[in-house]
Amino acid sequence: MSRLLFALSLLLMVGPAIAETWPDARWQTHPLAPSAALQDLEAYAFPTRDEQARKGVRTDALLVIRNGEIIYERYAGVTKADTPHLTWSISKSILATVLGVAYGEGRFKLDDPVATFYPPFNAHPDIKIKDLLHWASGLDWQEDYEYAPLNSSVIAMLYTQGRGDMARYTAEHPVACAPGTSYRYSSGDSTVLAAALRGMVGDTAYTDYPWTALFDPLGIKGAVWETDATGTFVGSSYAYMTARDLARIGLLMQRGGRWQDRQLLPTAWVDLNLTPFASQTPTREAPGGQWWLNKKADGKPGPWPDAPLDTFAGLGHWGQALYVMPSAGLVIVRYADDRDGTYDHNQLLKRALKAVAGEGGQ
Amino acid sequence: MSLRKGFIRRRPFSSVTLLILLLLLAVIWTWRLPLQVFPSIISAYTAKEYCSCRYVMNNPVDYCQRYVKQWLPSTLTESLSDKRITATGMGRESSAQWQGARQGCQLLPPVP
Repeated sequence: MSRLLFALSLLLMVGPAIAETWPDARWQTHPLAPSAALQDLEAYAFPTRDEQARKGVRTDALLVIRNGEIIYERYAGVTKADTPHLTWSISKSILATVLGVAYGEGRFKLDDPVATFYPPFNAHPDIKIKDLLHWASGLDWQEDYEYAPLNSSVIAMLYTQGRGDMARYTAEHPVACAPGTSYRYSSGDSTVLAAALRGMVGDTAYTDYPWTALFDPLGIKGAVWETDATGTFVGSSYAYMTARDLARIGLLMQRGGRWQDRQLLPTAWVDLNLTPFASQTPTREAPGGQWWLNKKADGKPGPWPDAPLDTFAGLGHWGQALYVMPSAGLVIVRYADDRDGTYDHNQLLKRALKAVAGEGGQ
Repeated sequence: MSLRKGFIRRRPFSSVTLLILLLLLAVIWTWRLPLQVFPSIISAYTAKEYCSCRYVMNNPVDYCQRYVKQWLPSTLTESLSDKRITATGMGRESSAQWQGARQGCQLLPPVP
């Protein structure tokens, strides 16, 4: 009798874990039934593609995961399910996830000076790891792309003076304000995090660390992460993976840093990622720790009014996006080649939520 | 003092031209490093992003040519045997090469 009770209570405990869907080598699929709301989403994401003037919304991939199952997936142009697509600045959020594993291994503390792991930062002894995570190093960085190329720190880092040693190029920037006080979006800050990771885990482990720490446990195959000439990962910009593989990082984050029964990222780390940074200078965006949020430090809503407040995202140049909405059980990957500003995150999220709710939702 | 005033009064246009020239020189001096490396941007961008488009994302040639197209003219040479891309633009040349399955592409030295 007591054995039966024990078995029953064990079943009750294990029950919820069994009900939770996780991808193994493949994802389970449960496609959304056709509806007007789904048509509306497709009309927004996949208008006739302008290949000549490259104007308007040009989605390469749209993948929607609900509670660990694929409910929608479509590719356009030359991108396919097995294309490792450039993520641009989603790389920053991927790097933060890799760093989270190192944090869980006790390799560093948030208040450690960057110089402990990356000696060229001896020139900036007050800058801490958490300041880089908040894009608040205080360095005088110019993050402009094609519209101000002469003055752009990021163009120089990727393509000219900085490309041999990107982290050192960042370290050589002068100081604009005190570290940890003001948000100033900087690919340099993210690249220095990638250089500091080498100091945290050592030269030998570094080359494979994103794979051993994160990609392998999540079952991500075929990811590419380009480096500068010194071998430092271009943590700001150059990670590539398939839409389905990026969704695995989204699912890990949706479930609080847990992958199946393993807490891969400490809760404290995920909290840092998802807590709005209180910047002394006003911000249009709502930055967290290398992720973008939908709520600001003063409690006001963030930039996507039609999405839940707990929405967060990794975002990249030309329309790349990894959206996570824990309260809706959703992860959305969008790859694109948008060359103008037509695409609007809020419009896509609004239509995606309607398309999902139209089916009865949760 | 009166001599300079005299020059400005006698040659007002030359004085303004001289002043503009001096200001221009000062601007060029301040921006000498970015100006010197600026012309490399087009060829470096074209070589690197074309290399990644072809050998990391595995996209077709004609797509990648359109993908890296800028408003300034540039040329592309692809060496299939060693997966090496050479691009020119604004009078400069840059090369990028595929490094491996996990490392993708990288711009080759010298750094401008």
